[in-house]
Amino acid sequence: MLPIALGMAALGCGIGLGLIGFAAMQGMARQPEAIGKMQTAMLIALAFVELVFLLTVFVGAGAFKG
Amino acid sequence: MTENTQPKSNPAMVVGMIVIGAILMVAGMVAYKAHAFDAIEKPLAGMGIPLNFGKTISTIGVFLILFKVIEYFFFKPLHETIDHRTGELEKTFTEAETLRADMTQMKADYEKRLADTEASAREQIQAQIKEAQDLKKSLMADAQRQAEEYKQTAIAEIEAEKRKVLGDLRVEVTKLSLQATEKLLGANIDSDRNRKLIDEFLSTVEVKN
Amino acid sequence: MLSLFQNVQWLLAAGDSAHGGDHGGDAHAALAIEGLWFYIGLVVLISFGLMVMAKKEFGQRFFRTRISQYAEQLYIFIENLVVGIIGAHGRKYMPMIMTFWIVIFISNCVALFFPTSPTADLSFNLGMALIAVGYVQYEGMRANGVLGHFSHFAGPKMGLALIPINGMIFIIEIISETMKNVSLSLRLYGNIDGGHRAAVAMNELGEGANIPVGAFLLPVKLLTCVVQALIFCLLFCVYISLVTHHDHEEGHGHDHADDHGHDPVPATA
Repeated sequence: MLPIALGMAALGCGIGLGLIGFAAMQGMARQPEAIGKMQTAMLIALAFVELVFLLTVFVGAGAFKG
Repeated sequence: MTENTQPKSNPAMVVGMIVIGAILMVAGMVAYKAHAFDAIEKPLAGMGIPLNFGKTISTIGVFLILFKVIEYFFFKPLHETIDHRTGELEKTFTEAETLRADMTQMKADYEKRLADTEASAREQIQAQIKEAQDLKKSLMADAQRQAEEYKQTAIAEIEAEKRKVLGDLRVEVTKLSLQATEKLLGANIDSDRNRKLIDEFLSTVEVKN
Repeated sequence: MLSLFQNVQWLLAAGDSAHGGDHGGDAHAALAIEGLWFYIGLVVLISFGLMVMAKKEFGQRFFRTRISQYAEQLYIFIENLVVGIIGAHGRKYMPMIMTFWIVIFISNCVALFFPTSPTADLSFNLGMALIAVGYVQYEGMRANGVLGHFSHFAGPKMGLALIPINGMIFIIEIISETMKNVSLSLRLYGNIDGGHRAAVAMNELGEGANIPVGAFLLPVKLLTCVVQALIFCLLFCVYISLVTHHDHEEGHGHDHADDHGHDPVPATA
């Protein structure tokens, strides 16, 4: 059961990361002069989404096992 | 809150941070060896989180020292170098700007002087031309006047000559007429009365022609 | 000397066992404190070596060697980061952010070549996160006063009737402040240690044909090194700007807490 759950977590995070990248790329293409600000915001958002996955893998999986 | 761009340099604070850092490093070691936080660490480790607060405390100590050491060892010189260079660049740019302004000023001055010189030269040339024209005019007038004078004198002379010649001619004519009349009359009528008559006659002739 | 050598051998062995494939999610394989000291020493040694090399040209008009130019680039990069996020008054946090950057980046790079590294250890990361968040709290208290800083946690002033809601917001904010520690440390740990585990797991794929498949992860891991160092510094800047960004507006209004809810940057992890 655990591998499937982890896979689903990865799926969700992948979709989230993709959405962030999609929106950021679109914004950058539309407003090339605001690339710096968008990159910063994008990296922060990426970090937050990634954190959810890390929490799932390290805390969630450990808690399930234990 | 103070808005200083330079990091504050308080020696007591620096030494304090380093001392606290060293104390924390040792304390973390001691806590690790004594298993001081086992009560918290064991359940966390069971959940898959490999935490050890002894190491954490040591890390905090290390960082407290590293902050100050890196700030004084690395950051300050770099900051000063870059600040210095930025200042120098700005100074250079300002100097270049001033130089350029000076140059523009000089160029404007030069151009103005050039224009002035050109104008004065043209003026002089104009004045010279005018003078020459005046001279020419006066010379021509002089020449004209002289020519006129000569002409007048010549005319007068001619007139006088003519008159003299006419006088002579009249005398000759009178003489000839008298001689002719003498011959014709055969007698010397060289009297005053005759002469007067002929003169009168001639004057009528003169008047006529 | 011999004992040191044996110690090093043991450390490498310990690092190996920390990433042994058969206990993937096992938490007991973290470094012992001697190992942590060894790797911290390694990181400090490398970074100070680089710094000494870079320092040779400081004070001159031009930087000719690569390492000094990199140092200058790092300085300009961090300055842009700090000024862009915190504002002009953020320059005084630059030494701290630069220290974080140097330590995290170099120990991430150590993680590429050694079995483990300080940032692959959750305790070390938690120490860094505690310092970062603690310093943010300290700066908040210095900027807004102790009471003002804690009243920030309670959310906007909404009148007497809504004090329970303020209390709930206060609790949530306290939890989120705690979670900042967890998020900062766990993100770094997860990325670096997760990279190791992924490399080990992929190496198993090519074991039969003697192909180090995990080595092909190296570019991704190199990217991770930079991005994680960047994100740690970025989030530190964001946290600081959240507690100090009312500074320059103090003349305009006395109730800073009112516009606290409209921050464009998410306040919690």
